[in-house]
Amino acid sequence: MAELGRAALVICLGLSVYAAAAGAYAAYRGRRRLSLSARNALIASFVAAVVAVLVLVAAFLRNDFGFTYVAEHSSRRLPALYTFSALWGGQEGSLLFWLLILTGFAAAAVLLNRRSAPDLVAWVVPVLGGVAIFFSFMLVAVSSPFDTQPAPVDGAGLNPSLQNLHMLIHPVLLYLGYVGLTIPFAFGMGSLLAKRGDERWIVATRRWTLAAWGFLGIGQLIGAHWAYVEVGWGGYYAWDPVENAAFMPWLVSTAFLHSVMVQEKKGMLRIWNMLLVAGGFVLALFGTFLTRSGILSSIHSFTESPLGGWFLGFIAIVIAFSLALIFLRLPLLRTKTKLDSLASREASFLYNNLLLVAFSLTILWGVLYPILSEAVTGQRNHVSGPYYNFFLHVFGLPLLLLMGIGPLLAWRKTSLRTLARTWAWPAAVSLVVGAILLALGAGSSIPGLIAYTFSAFVIVSIVVEFVRGTRARKAVAGESWPTAFSSLVARNRRRYGGYVIHAAIVLLAIGIAGSSAYDTTREAKLRPGQSMEIRGYTLTYRRLVQRESENAREVRALVDVRRGTSSEGTLSAGKNNYPVERQVSNEVAIRSNLVTGEDVYLIAQQVETDGTVFFKAEVLPLVNLIWLAGFIFIGGTLIALWPDARESRRLADRYGYAAARA
Amino acid sequence: MTLALVLGAALALACVLFVARPFLLDPEAKNDELDEPTAQERRRLELLERRDRALAALKEVEFDHRSGKISDEDYRGLVGALRRQAAEALRALEPTERSRMRNLEPPTQPDIPEPYPPPGELDPPTHPDIPEPYPPPGETEPPAPPQIPEPYPGTEPQV
Repeated sequence: MAELGRAALVICLGLSVYAAAAGAYAAYRGRRRLSLSARNALIASFVAAVVAVLVLVAAFLRNDFGFTYVAEHSSRRLPALYTFSALWGGQEGSLLFWLLILTGFAAAAVLLNRRSAPDLVAWVVPVLGGVAIFFSFMLVAVSSPFDTQPAPVDGAGLNPSLQNLHMLIHPVLLYLGYVGLTIPFAFGMGSLLAKRGDERWIVATRRWTLAAWGFLGIGQLIGAHWAYVEVGWGGYYAWDPVENAAFMPWLVSTAFLHSVMVQEKKGMLRIWNMLLVAGGFVLALFGTFLTRSGILSSIHSFTESPLGGWFLGFIAIVIAFSLALIFLRLPLLRTKTKLDSLASREASFLYNNLLLVAFSLTILWGVLYPILSEAVTGQRNHVSGPYYNFFLHVFGLPLLLLMGIGPLLAWRKTSLRTLARTWAWPAAVSLVVGAILLALGAGSSIPGLIAYTFSAFVIVSIVVEFVRGTRARKAVAGESWPTAFSSLVARNRRRYGGYVIHAAIVLLAIGIAGSSAYDTTREAKLRPGQSMEIRGYTLTYRRLVQRESENAREVRALVDVRRGTSSEGTLSAGKNNYPVERQVSNEVAIRSNLVTGEDVYLIAQQVETDGTVFFKAEVLPLVNLIWLAGFIFIGGTLIALWPDARESRRLADRYGYAAARA
Repeated sequence: MTLALVLGAALALACVLFVARPFLLDPEAKNDELDEPTAQERRRLELLERRDRALAALKEVEFDHRSGKISDEDYRGLVGALRRQAAEALRALEPTERSRMRNLEPPTQPDIPEPYPPPGELDPPTHPDIPEPYPPPGETEPPAPPQIPEPYPGTEPQV
């Protein structure tokens, strides 16, 4: 069936070429039927991609090791559940998955907007077709998942660290985020190609951008949790280039989500928003390039990788195309509106944009520096955690404070007297919190103390916003407090969904500050019966146990945990030996206290044949707030995404002419 | 191998038919022009965006004033300018709306939403949707805050 997979990819490439070429010609010459035909080609390319993916999934499920990709990423002992991880666990499969999501999103986006913005969609189709050409061409000519070989008896298996439930979700969410950023890019560029100076493209892609941003955010958080429970080095984020690859487009998209509101409210920042939407997409491509080119291991492996040069070329084309188009359309994008005051909501969005983009660029420099240094000097100079942590403090802490200040500012301008009044409660509470924490010894980490103080400011400002809003709503409509609260949120979902997301980011900041600035680490080599102490906990190593699982040999050290006189249960830390993959993985043990948010984290770093174990134990205060933040983040994103009938009516009124004629 | 080729050919054929569908359904199209907005429609859209922006800003200012984020003084200064902007946009829309209504064919008329009040009601000073600003300080006792603007018939304020 490999032939069917190959044929489906060739068809997908052909359809993408047609969508781009015929779509561009039709949009340029104003040909209706040809434009519809190009749109159909883009939709059909999704069907072809689905067929290609189904062929590969069937090969995995049948353990058809005649497919080289299946033989390299699966084995007969691999649990069926992880077959799906194997689908995107390698280079070719992940590219195919990219293409599937891209064509699926493209088909959905053009179908959803075909009536309300037909002239815009006519130009969006060739842009999306152009992106689909690149990925389908790579799969057809450079890196095919349908290469065949004489079938071996068994496959090489899947990397053990990917044999985890997180890996069923994390890559999918990241891809949904990366690829989702293609849609706002295509509509933005389509709008410029169509010479439209209106904001139809923003309206069409508002939810796409928010959803892509939400997927990227949650995908990263699940990735961090995976690193925490599976990789077993004692942390959740290491400023690894692959992690940074997802973080950079998320930061730029965060900037875009804020600055686009300034464009909607005041018609400002049109050029900046185009640059951000193009920047987000380019960084998403760059992230895929980083993970797929081999450049992270060495600049030399990059030149050996078949993908690297192609990706770099495509990124260069996208940058040149976007900048040239934005430059050509500058007269269309320029506005006469100016900032009314430096103390206004839009000014706070501008500050947050500058900080977010600056933070993203410093991370980009940290990622590129080792590569550039190796290219120039032949020696790779690594950029480590302290570099990134420095800029996290420099940009992250002011950003945290801005999350509290922004909502308290009015659009256009806020007088100093009003500022003093609206800031009174947040400032007073945060100063009291800071003083109490300082008295309790939190001054051992100044960035940690500042983060907590700022977090208190933001939380109080969010509460104040909800209370004042509900009170205003109650006064206008004469509703009860609960009804006024729910109508307040329902009537402005983006604003209040945004505040919920801010609350999630604050929890994240508290969790990160607590677990990284105030953590405790102890290491000890123990024989059965011996104990170690860490921050009030006594860890007693009892014995070693071994067992066989479906695809691994497992060794576990059982460790009793006591705090004072009370037992806190038994931890089971150890290692898994995967015979097929010939790899060993760390299996950490975590004791979570869901009331205090604290974790006791135990790694069996080395297990000797005589039963002696070298343990590394950590106590991480408030770390569970990071995971709790994920749920609140999802809740806030859903509130902001939820359709609003009033908004739909308003937009139908504004863009009604197109719907009426379609 | 054969089955794969047959399935591949079937997929290709289905895709070709789907791509050719607009030409197959309408082989001799009388009108093959892409539905692009005219200069007048673009102008109208620009004015609608300006109108919506001004009305949304009025609501926002009203809400911020009620929730204590804007002082009475700032409110008075802002609301007047925003009312003028909204009124200008509404006034500018008037001729394009009249011309648009004239150009519409009768059968398509029922499908098009009629969100605007009759032209006579668009006169800014009497428009019910635009809140009246407070009178200058000292002139009279401050009245009760104005009603939140209601820019679209049938919709409720966002506060």
